[in-house]
Parts: sequence; structure tokens; C-alpha cells
Amino acid sequence: MLRDLYLELEAGSFVTLLGPTGSGKTTLLRILAGIEKPDQGRIYYDGIDVTALPVQERNIAFVYQQFVNYPSMTLFENIASPLRVAKEKHSETEIKRKVEETAELLRLADILQHLPEEVSGGQRQRCAIARALVKDARFIFLDEPLANLDYKLREELRTELKQIFKDRDGVVIYATPEPIDALTMATHVGFLHEGEILQYGEVRDVYRNPSNAAVGSYFCHPQMNLFPCDVESRENAGCLLQVSQELKFEVGLDREKLPNDRYLLGVRPHHLFLSDPQSRMVPFQATVELAEVVGSNTELHLRHGGIRMSLLMQQVEQFPVGKEVTSFIDPDHLYIFDIESGAFVTRTNSSSISSSSSSR
Amino acid sequence: MARIELKSLEHRYASSRKGKSSFAIEDLNIIWEDGTANALLGPSGCGKTTILNIISGLIKPTGGEVLFDGVEVNNRATRNRHIAQVFQFPVVYDTMSVMDNLAFPLRNRGHDEKEVQSRTGEIMELLDLNKLADMKAERLNPAEKQIVSLGRGIVRKDTVAVLLDEPLTVIDPVLKLDLRRKLRLVQRELKLTMIYVTHDQHEALTFADHVTIMKDGAVVQSDTPEGLFLKPSTPFVGYFIGSPGMNMIPCENNSAGLEVTGSPLFIPKSIGGKTDNLEGSIELGIRPEFVETSIKELPDWNRFEIRSLDHAGAYQILTLESGSIRIKSRVEDHFVSKEGDPVWVNFPTDKTNLYANGKLVTP
Amino acid sequence: MRQRPWLFLLPTLILMSISAFVPLMAVINYSLHTIFAGSTPEYVGLQNYTDVMGDPQFRGALRRQLTFSLIVLLIEIPIGVGIALCLPRKGPTVGLSLVLLGIPLLIPYNVVGIVWRLFTQSDIGVIPRVLSMFGYKYNVSLDASDAFMTILLVDVWHWTPLVVLLAYAGLQAIPQTFYQAAEVDGASTWKTFRYVTLPKLRSVLTLGLLIRFMDSFKVYSEPLLLTGGGPGNATTFMSLFVARKAEAYELGYAGASSIIYLYVVIVMSYILFQFINRPPEGKRA
Repeated sequence: MLRDLYLELEAGSFVTLLGPTGSGKTTLLRILAGIEKPDQGRIYYDGIDVTALPVQERNIAFVYQQFVNYPSMTLFENIASPLRVAKEKHSETEIKRKVEETAELLRLADILQHLPEEVSGGQRQRCAIARALVKDARFIFLDEPLANLDYKLREELRTELKQIFKDRDGVVIYATPEPIDALTMATHVGFLHEGEILQYGEVRDVYRNPSNAAVGSYFCHPQMNLFPCDVESRENAGCLLQVSQELKFEVGLDREKLPNDRYLLGVRPHHLFLSDPQSRMVPFQATVELAEVVGSNTELHLRHGGIRMSLLMQQVEQFPVGKEVTSFIDPDHLYIFDIESGAFVTRTNSSSISSSSSSR
Repeated sequence: MARIELKSLEHRYASSRKGKSSFAIEDLNIIWEDGTANALLGPSGCGKTTILNIISGLIKPTGGEVLFDGVEVNNRATRNRHIAQVFQFPVVYDTMSVMDNLAFPLRNRGHDEKEVQSRTGEIMELLDLNKLADMKAERLNPAEKQIVSLGRGIVRKDTVAVLLDEPLTVIDPVLKLDLRRKLRLVQRELKLTMIYVTHDQHEALTFADHVTIMKDGAVVQSDTPEGLFLKPSTPFVGYFIGSPGMNMIPCENNSAGLEVTGSPLFIPKSIGGKTDNLEGSIELGIRPEFVETSIKELPDWNRFEIRSLDHAGAYQILTLESGSIRIKSRVEDHFVSKEGDPVWVNFPTDKTNLYANGKLVTP
Repeated sequence: MRQRPWLFLLPTLILMSISAFVPLMAVINYSLHTIFAGSTPEYVGLQNYTDVMGDPQFRGALRRQLTFSLIVLLIEIPIGVGIALCLPRKGPTVGLSLVLLGIPLLIPYNVVGIVWRLFTQSDIGVIPRVLSMFGYKYNVSLDASDAFMTILLVDVWHWTPLVVLLAYAGLQAIPQTFYQAAEVDGASTWKTFRYVTLPKLRSVLTLGLLIRFMDSFKVYSEPLLLTGGGPGNATTFMSLFVARKAEAYELGYAGASSIIYLYVVIVMSYILFQFINRPPEGKRA
């Protein structure tokens, strides 16, 4: 399921394990927490080998997808429970203080006396998170905690969680299939694909400099468009990247950088446009398959010949299915990946700052 | 297809769940025009499914009228109302083939076989089901079952309307797009009156040309998606539609314009609009997408401090603070700044909405 | 540690081996020997098996048993489902009806046998009395077909409630939306039953079928007490047959016939299961 992983997480970081369902992120999360044992390999917390240590003896907290709370206890008691079963005894006043502090942080202070079934889903999940936080554990693990919440609640909790987990000196590890979670909350992201970590690094860095088409397309909101293109040399240096009859890009890249004939071209949906005021983009005809309204944006699903692509419009607008539109692609923001392996080859926007992202 | 109207509809039902109060629909008036794609949107528990059941006749309302093309149908039995319904969990006749599933409603009413064959052929063509025609319904995946469900609903030409109750709930995310597209296509092709009930604004705004938002058993606003987005009639709609929701800034009216309580912010009359006659609690509403943000100080713009920067790939959402006021603004992905930096913010007149006592003020 | 679950299971596993596994081994052991009271068992290999298979008495008992089981199924399943369909689904009468129906299931087998024996006695029984009013001379101890029918009737009375309860649970599990859809589609009551209720009851019915089939093979106390297996062998079913052989100390024979009996049940159950429960979400191109 998982193979050959090597990860080093810094203190104070918020790490997202990002990947589609079945990529191994939940398994990895559970192994790191100690709920499951790895077949091979070792895990170290602050330099100490904890691989054989059972999960109850590590100082960790785990938040599940299905917001688990003790149904017969009030929220106050729920949040207090980790403190009551802890090895070191806490006095009653200290427990009260810690619970109220944590409840304040998660906006639960007014409903502490209620039972879990009496409060909303969002509040129950906040209670589960509070239980994890009150322990002041060094390592906090979260397994898709927002998955079962309404769209609006997820939006709110994302920004809240980011603030709550700031300025801690442990590590927060958060598994999710949603790139927006990583982009909003995390400091670092590890992208998992079929049991392997394809890339790990600071969020901004991995986002701007994906090492692989799989990373680039998934870690993009909405997903990056990928199309195969043919490469031809041009006499005056530079190359022609051809996706279709209409869709051709003249780029100032050296042919030496692109020795093969075919590559995979990546374009982010927000670099496709419906108008070109400065007349510098490449036009092409496409048919609208569906205009999906997502939040305050419209994701326009287009079809150009046999190629499907997405265009992100930063406003709410409806389009009838089947409408013909002229679209444009910005040639200054193209990614080029190897068509066989998906490995990153080069890009047309050279203002990227390369830094220390580790990739495999 | 027909025009469906709810007039002064009322329904009370006792609830026996611990901790939840009993619920009611009161004086509900909604019109769904013939041949339109509509959505009924609202949080769970606002009464949407009850309305669907009242329209299809499975529940009798305690008051008010249900009209199809102007004719009252309150006492008409379900089977005579000709309403097609697609449920949350796909409903197909497992032991029959796809074709027989589609033919079922026609055969039950005694249509002759030639007619049945030709009509089911048409529908299968439209819904792209030809390859699956002979497959036993129980072997289809949920998305395909929903399409068959829909097909069964529209195979009869005297169908009055198609009601959909959160039909995409159990569908794999990968297949949702295709199903959404088919729904839209079919609605337009056959000019069906469709009412799509959901709590997901994404679903509602993508499917419908006309969306009715409900809360606590009452209609809050009924408009096109663009209308709901640009001119929400209450702060709730402003919050519910769009991501992030609309910024609401409480203000006080004075002769020169709007003063924002608890902050040095001031919005001159030229921007806030006609505020002379406004009384009561006033709020300024502006969407984060329309807030103009600048790093450089500009005249008449208000100063805020950045509390947080949330990256969202194609753009960033800034949380800005001024005194006790917090708003969000959307900026480009290459907007460079950090927490604690000052920015200057402007609210363009044409994108700003004023609310008095929770209702949109129309000029 | 990974072994902990096994440690918890150990007591149950030990008990199970003592009460089920060990006796099975003992029976197989018997079946391979000739045993006479007192003397040492003599290993005869599969001789007992050939003896049993060749014995017309054995084949007769087996035939009777299979006929009985099949008829029982043909009666109990449809009647059980029919009754379940008539039961109320909601309200105060639900509990009452289920309890009343369940009463036969609670009565011990031997009590059932004895009470029905009283019912069928030619001199004092209620059944011969009533039937003679219709001109039918009913005699359970002399007429083979009367005896067979009576045991059938007793079994149906005793066990149909089980089918009813299973079918009832199955019916409750069918979501209302299917009936709503059938209503909207204009389906008649029969069509609704055929295309909605019956397919959705399939797994429950399979369960009922299997349980009743396997159980019916165990019928013992009722024929023993009611008819004594008679008249003649008319109601000597498999359990009774094997038990008699064992009582007569023909342990080798009894052992072999037990094993054959077990094998028949396993094979028939497997066939039934495969036939009824074809996998629904099959592989598709």
C-alpha cells in the first residue's frame, strides 16, 4: 500500500497529506500516529524511536472524520475527558480552566452544558477538535475532519483551523483529498499518489513548482488542464507547441530543453480566458459542456475537438449547454511535463523562485 | 409539462425528535413556470422535501392550494398527478432491463407496444442509454440508475413536472459532472418543468435558471443565480450564496454619509448612495470579490490591516481588520503582502448593497 | 499486540471444539469401524458406507426426508410471506401481532409433539372428530398418508411464524420510495409485488429457505412422539432413522449414515444458495 517513504516534518509546521481516495494518506496518517504498525521502517518523534510504542503512550491527539464524541457526556465533559484519563493528574480547577480556554478558541463557550446530539454537526466537530487540542499534545493528527460538513461550514472552519493551529511548537498533520484545504491552512504539503509521496515541501513552493504532472494537476483548484502536445523547432530559436490545429503556442524555449517530440502541456484553469484585451493570447473555439457555479466562481467545462478542459471565471455567470465560445490561453503560464513519466521538464513563466522542495 | 403554483401553502407537522422544535410552512407562495429549470435551495430542515411531497401528493397540506396550470389539485391522488420524482437513493426495478424499466409506466397504462418501443427508443437516445438497453437494472452503477430513474419520469408525454430530491447525493464525484450535464441538456431539449431540491448551493446554482432560497419554512429570495449573487435581498442570502459570503458592515447614518460603528471607516454619500430616509439598523453589504484592495494609499480609501492571507490557488482571500470591523477581500494570486501589513480599500458604488433592518434597499 | 483477539476467542474456541468438532471426529471414527457391544471395534474402512448406500431402508428414509423438506418449503415460504404482507407496519397492533404469531416458535418440540398427539388421537382428538363431520375417516396411526400429512401440518404450524418474522423484517427494510415510484408509474398491486417487493425480499427469502431446509432435516421429536415413525416407516425421517440405528448399537452403520446425511444437507444447501442468490452487481464489459 505504501512504499519507500521518507519524511521529515519540522516543529511548528502544519502538514497536509494530500491525495485522492485510496492514495494511502489515511494509512500513512494512522501509521504516523501509531494506530497501525508499518510493515517496515521506523518512526521518530523528536529524535526518539516510537515505532513500537503503543498509541496510548505517545502524546498525540487524533481527530476523525465522523466527529466522535461521547454521546452521554456534555460538551464540557467531552473536552475534559482526555485530561481526566491522562497519566499526570490535573486538579479540577486546572481542568476547568483548560476546557474553557479551549472552548473559547473553538467558539463553544456558550454551549458547553449541552449534549452532542443537541448541537449542530459543525459544533460537534469543533468539540472533537477541542478534545484533541486540550491535551496540548505535541502531535495532532486529523483525518479529513471537514468531509462530513456542509459547504459553508467547511469554509468557515478552514479559516478557523488555520488560526487555531498557528503558533504551536508541535506538528499538525492533516489528511485530505481537497487541495483547497492544503492551500488555505497548511505550511507544508506532501502529495501522495498510489502509496508514494511524489513531492513534499512548503505549500507555495509545491504549488508553483510541481515536480510531476500528477502533483501539478491535482494540487490545483480546480484541477490543472493537461493536454498532449507536439513539439517543433522554429528557425529563430524557440519552439512551437501544438495541441491542435488551432491551439498552438510559440514559446521562447530552447529545443535542447525539449528533445522529445511529444510532451504533456499543463495549464491552470484560471489561465484560460474568454477575452483577450491585450491580444497576446492564443484563441481557439470550444463548446460549453457545463457551467458549474462553485462558490463565487464559475468553472466552465469546455470541449475543443476531443479535448476537455476547464476555464475558471472569477464571477457567477450561466452559460447554456452547447454554446460555442472563443477562448484564450495565456502562453506565459504553461507547464511542460514528460509525457511518459509525468516528470516536470520546464515552463514558460520564468519568474518562479526555485527553492528547497524535496521531490522524488 | 405545466406551470406549478403554491398559493398560501401551509403545513404543520409535529416532530418527536428530542431537542428539535416542531416545524411549519406558513403562507408559502411560489410559482414555477412551465418548462423552466428551477432549484429549491435551503439548509437541512427548512421544509424543502415536505414541499416536494406536497406537490407529488404524498402529503396533504394543512392549508393552501397546489395548482397545476391554474387548476387546484389538492385532492387529486398521486397517480393522477403525473409527477415524476427522482429520489436521493436511485429507484429502479432491479429485475427488469433498462428498456423495460423505461417502458413500465407506458405499459401500465396500456399503450400499444409499437408506441412503447418508439418512445423508449427516443428517450434512450436522448439519455445515451442505448448501450445499456438490455442490461438488468440492478447491475448499473448509481449514476446510471439515476439516469434511468429520470428516464422513467419523462417517458410519459403527459408528465407535468420532474421533481428531483438531492439526486446527486450518492453519486461518485467523478460521475457527478456528467450527470449534471445530462440533466441540464435534457431539461432544455424537452422543455421540462424541473424542480431540483438541495441544500448545496453549488448544485442549485449550476442546475437552475431560477433559484428559490428557503429558510425556516419561508421563501427568502427567488431569483436567477446572478441575481442572487449580485443583489441578495437579505444578509442571509448574501452569506449563503458565494464563497466567501458577503461582507456585512453595520453603519450609522449621518448627513454626510455612513459611519461605521467601532471603526474609523467612513463611506461618503457619493458611494453609499441615498441614505437620507434610511432608519433602523443599517448594514453595508459588499462581496469580497468586489472590494478593491490596494497596497498604496489612495485618497478617500479606507485603511485596513491584514489579519490573515488565505491562498486559494487562482486568488487569495484577505481577512482585513479596522477597529472592530472585519471584512474579507479577494485579490489576485500574485498580490504580495503579509500579515500585519496595511492596505487601502474601496467599496465601488455599483457593487455595494445597503440593507435596512435586514432587507435590501433598492434605489 | 496482534494476538490479543485470539486470546479473547480462545474460551469459545475450546468450547466449540468440545461440543462440535470432537463429536464430529468421533462419528467419522465410528463410521470407519464395525462395533459390537462389548468387543473391540474393528476397522473396516469404507465398508459401512457401501452397506448404507445399498440399504433400501436408508434410501427410503432419505427419499421420505427430501420429499418432506421440499413440500415444507413449498408451503411455508409462500404462506409466511403472505401473512407478513398482511401484518400492520406501524402502530400499537404491530407488537401484539408479532408476539401472537411468535408463540408457536417458543413451545418446546416435545411439548408440540405431545399436544398434537392429543389432537390427533382417534378416540379423543379434535381433528378426527371434525374431519368425520365432513365424512373423512382420519386415522393417524393406521393410515400412512394421514400420518405424513399430519407431521407436515405440525411443522407448518410450528415453523411458518419464523418465515413470517423474517419476511416482515425484510419488508420493513424496503424503502418507501420504491412504493412511491411504483405508485407514480401506475403499477397495479400485483405488479408492485412482483417488481418491487419480491426482488427486494430476495436475500431474506434465501435465508428463510436455507434455514427451513436445514432445520427440516432435523425433524425428530414430533414424529417420534406423534406417530413413533409409523405407521410402518411412513414417518421415519432421517434423524429418526439414524437415531434408531444408533440405539440398536449399530454404531458403524449409524456413523456412516450420519456422515452421508451431513453431506447431502451441505450439497443441497449449496445448490439452493447458488440457485437463488445469483450475485447482483456482476462484472460488466
